[in-house]
Amino acid sequence: MAEPPPHTVSSDPPQTANRPDGRVLVLKLFFLVFFVIVAGRLVQVQLLEAPKYQTIAKKQHEQTFALPPVRGSMFDRHGNVLVSNSMFVSLAADPKMVGQSADRIATRFSRVFGKPRSYYLERLRATTNGGTKRRFVWLERRVTPELGRKIEADRLDGIVVINEAKRLYHYDELASSLLGLTDVDNNGIAGLETQFNELLKGKSGSVTMQRDGFGRARPSADYPRVDPVDGDDIILTIDLAYQAIAEEELKKGIEKNKADGGIVIMLDPRSGAILAMANQPSMNPNAVGLSPSNIPRNRALTDVFEPGSLFKIVTTASAYEYKLINPGRRYNAEGGKYRVFLGGNQYRLITDTKEYDVLTFQEGFEVSSNIVMAKASEIIGAEKLYRQARDMGFGIPTGIELPGEVRGRLKKPHEWSKTTLNSLSYGYEISCTPLQMVVAYSAIANKGILMKPSILAEVRKKSGDIAYAQTPQKIRRVVSEETAALLAEAMEGVVERGTGTEVKTSSVRIGGKTGTSRRIVDGRYVRDSHTASFVGYFPLEDPQIVCLVMLDNPRTIGYYGGITAGPVFRRIAERIVQTSARFSGQRTVVAARKNEGPTVPDLRNLQPAIATKILEGNGLGYEVFGSGEIVVKQSPNPGTRIEAGAMVHLVLNVEGSAPSKGSLVVPDVRGMSVRRAINRLVVDDFDVSVQGSGIVRHQVPPPMSEVAPGSKIRLQCEPRSTLSAALY
Amino acid sequence: MNEPRTISSGVKRNHIDLPVLIAILTLMVLSLGVVYSASATWAMQRFGESSRMISLHALRVLLGIVALFVGMAIDYTKLKRITKLTLVVSVVLLFVTLIFGGEMKGASRWLRFGGFGFQPSELAKIALLFHLSTLIAAKGELIKDFKRGFIPMMIWIIGVTMLVLIQPNFSTGFMILSLGLIMLFVSRARMLHLVGVSLVSLPLLVGYLVSAEYRLERVRSFLEGGLSGGGMSYQLYQGIIGFGNGGLIGVGPGESRQRDLFLPESYGDFVFSIVGEEYGLIGTLFFMSLFLVIMLRGFKIAKHAPDRFSQLIAIAITSMVTLYALVNAGVTLGVLPTTGLPMPFVSYGGSSLLFTSFAVGVLLNISARTDLHPRASVLPEGTMPLEPLEKKVRIT
Repeated sequence: MAEPPPHTVSSDPPQTANRPDGRVLVLKLFFLVFFVIVAGRLVQVQLLEAPKYQTIAKKQHEQTFALPPVRGSMFDRHGNVLVSNSMFVSLAADPKMVGQSADRIATRFSRVFGKPRSYYLERLRATTNGGTKRRFVWLERRVTPELGRKIEADRLDGIVVINEAKRLYHYDELASSLLGLTDVDNNGIAGLETQFNELLKGKSGSVTMQRDGFGRARPSADYPRVDPVDGDDIILTIDLAYQAIAEEELKKGIEKNKADGGIVIMLDPRSGAILAMANQPSMNPNAVGLSPSNIPRNRALTDVFEPGSLFKIVTTASAYEYKLINPGRRYNAEGGKYRVFLGGNQYRLITDTKEYDVLTFQEGFEVSSNIVMAKASEIIGAEKLYRQARDMGFGIPTGIELPGEVRGRLKKPHEWSKTTLNSLSYGYEISCTPLQMVVAYSAIANKGILMKPSILAEVRKKSGDIAYAQTPQKIRRVVSEETAALLAEAMEGVVERGTGTEVKTSSVRIGGKTGTSRRIVDGRYVRDSHTASFVGYFPLEDPQIVCLVMLDNPRTIGYYGGITAGPVFRRIAERIVQTSARFSGQRTVVAARKNEGPTVPDLRNLQPAIATKILEGNGLGYEVFGSGEIVVKQSPNPGTRIEAGAMVHLVLNVEGSAPSKGSLVVPDVRGMSVRRAINRLVVDDFDVSVQGSGIVRHQVPPPMSEVAPGSKIRLQCEPRSTLSAALY
Repeated sequence: MNEPRTISSGVKRNHIDLPVLIAILTLMVLSLGVVYSASATWAMQRFGESSRMISLHALRVLLGIVALFVGMAIDYTKLKRITKLTLVVSVVLLFVTLIFGGEMKGASRWLRFGGFGFQPSELAKIALLFHLSTLIAAKGELIKDFKRGFIPMMIWIIGVTMLVLIQPNFSTGFMILSLGLIMLFVSRARMLHLVGVSLVSLPLLVGYLVSAEYRLERVRSFLEGGLSGGGMSYQLYQGIIGFGNGGLIGVGPGESRQRDLFLPESYGDFVFSIVGEEYGLIGTLFFMSLFLVIMLRGFKIAKHAPDRFSQLIAIAITSMVTLYALVNAGVTLGVLPTTGLPMPFVSYGGSSLLFTSFAVGVLLNISARTDLHPRASVLPEGTMPLEPLEKKVRIT
């Protein structure tokens, strides 16, 4: 180491250390190329193809869930809930995420829902055809929220809790063809549910959740939650009590006459408000598995019939309105058989059901003589008869807020054949819907002014604001007041002396018209099948309700409208009129709701099942005394304002013997608790005094004795059990 | 003139190479943020605590820095004497691992002492590279001799590789073989021998590759799907989505969504995808440039290494870090078949970080023994500084 060159770095200098090394250079170059490839690929993925991957990423990172709105409810005119929603909880699982907890989950579900563990295990281990685990299986559908919460509280892995709203029709079959139905997605598929779907359904909101790779979602702060807008409530002109009465009586009438079905429509002629619209046969919309095909149509406006004698009101109206025929004008009724010669040897035979020789025009109407009407039509002429029919709404849809309305057919005079004028005069060669017919009669009841029929009273926002309120719509005057009065007289004659004597009742003056016609099904006459009907209104002096009753193919006591549909009409009228409070005309369209305590509804003449449901709907309790099918008394009286949750006492018709007028029968309260006994006696306004406590042993006066209203009843009571008595 | 910078004794040193040190420390510090973000959801899922994995990782990074300084402080030249022993020990450990090792995902790769586990293959890799450097430096031109030079070294390389492959750990085995061959290549072994060995080992490697269903599947999906995404494995596809979602500037630190259980191993072998997602192309290119710095400086250090042994070790370490980084990036980007390799200094994982840190410490140690960064104070008065020094060195 004599003269080491300066700055040599090692005493052990590698001969090659600092000179360029080809192989290291190759290695370095190899790495550099590799760097360039990686950088190039980075540019490709992160710059050129970034939008594509960003889309994919967004799709897998985010999930937007719809927040379903609450569908609006439907109420009757007094604020009784007809349709609302009930919440259900459905439980599903993601078997892949459940994994090891399947046993625990199955045990828990089995304990809560009572099904065997194996039922759940089988589902939790469900695989697809390919053998991989499924990602979604239902475990329980539509269970009560309470049960759902029990499971939710356990925070089990892989369990999905889904809230599902189900439409709840509070009165099952009641008004079902009117209210309609919704599908699984809560969209209306029939009736009012369809008609007002847009109003009822509201607007969906949405929430965007962040998802992780295991499919779990959590709220994302990046996206605002859009709250759903709940659907509007719809208040109908329907009166729940009338609807119930209509359906009950229609059902009874159908049973009695072994009819195929029937329709009842009630409306208020002064406003056109539909009060009831019943269709039989009906369905229970709460039943599961209903498909649109087996939902009965609302035939009151979707199906036409040949009105037959009901149409004579039009013939008569035109005769009076144009002052062409006096009520007293006498006609040769031809002994029931009238030949109308059509030219040549051809003639047409018009018959009446009874053989009359001479009838005045009004008598012709009352006994429903086709011959008198045919002869009158020759005087009236085609143009005037047609105009009268058109004015009264035939051949034109009424425009009611219900889906599927048809217009019927009223031929124009130039389309008429030689027979049309005569046929039309007694209701043939024309078709109309039951609704068109009842609307035509309501114009007469309303002193000649035709009102547009309507079923919608109000639309309310969930906030309580009224979005829309219906006002009665006048369409036109169809006859003068004078004519209307003449027609009313004739219609009363029908009930008093004519074909409608079955309708006569001591409770109220009724005017109306019977109708019997050959039945049309799907546009063709059905052999030996008839449509029997009665349309009328009451009270005659101040018409408040126009009602149509129609029975399809009655076949026990005959097929004439007067004897089949007539009694149904009468019972409906009697039951409605019996409750004078309800019938005073003082009703407001919608009863006060929520703010103050509930008002006791009028439950008299209703079936106990309906009455108690109405009470439940108003948030009231009830106690029912006696047995029977009609509520005869109630306490407190209708219209009384009471606290929410308070008791209403109902007394049914079959309790004891019927009292004679002006006195009361003392009910048997022995064996009842003091409280119950007092409740019962107070209904009848008895004055009650109590001795002792516990159970009523004796009562004075004794049960079944007749006493004056307000009499004093003394009760002797004993403690509840002999054992407890012995202890004293 | 007695040269004060004659450092055969290992006492006198120059400055270490700052760019390498800064690059390493930057990677380590950034890895704390990236691994935390990438592991939080998985840690929550597995341990119910989002910070469980990052705290362990932070501890390992600290240990890594300690190992780095150990590597920098020791007189690595003395390692020459123990490389053979270390290699033998690690081979024994590999055997032990095969018999007693903890199973993980179907492979015996781990040895556990108390609470700590480590992968003997990582030790064996470093030991082999150091021992090969010792051998090559000792044999000199003898390396060109097939029997006395080439074969003994191939025996070590093939032996260690085989032991790792049968764990089975294809990726590490393949890397060990590659690095071993790189060592032979730069030590100027005859190309004939290298090509010969390659031709013999290639069919064996392919045979090994197809011997396991999952490996075959990976290769198949790589060949079929290529870069289109069609046949990509779920993990790779999710990795690519991560890169793509980041775009140019990324979604921001801690904002990765792919880590939310979409991307398996998002904190480990696929952590680079999370870098791409959170920091975008800018971030990924920055990370790659740090590795580029390490490679360029590493080769420079090697070039200026004081002796043949130091030079070989510098090349080995540089190649190891660079190759791991490139292969890892290549795998996560789908330009190479999927295989489980960590990204040096960034991925979650203990053994690799510890040994790599130590190795890079040695590289820095070597850099201090070059004249790349002379200590100003040790220059005698009046001596010219840096510039002329370098020129003079070049002349030699």
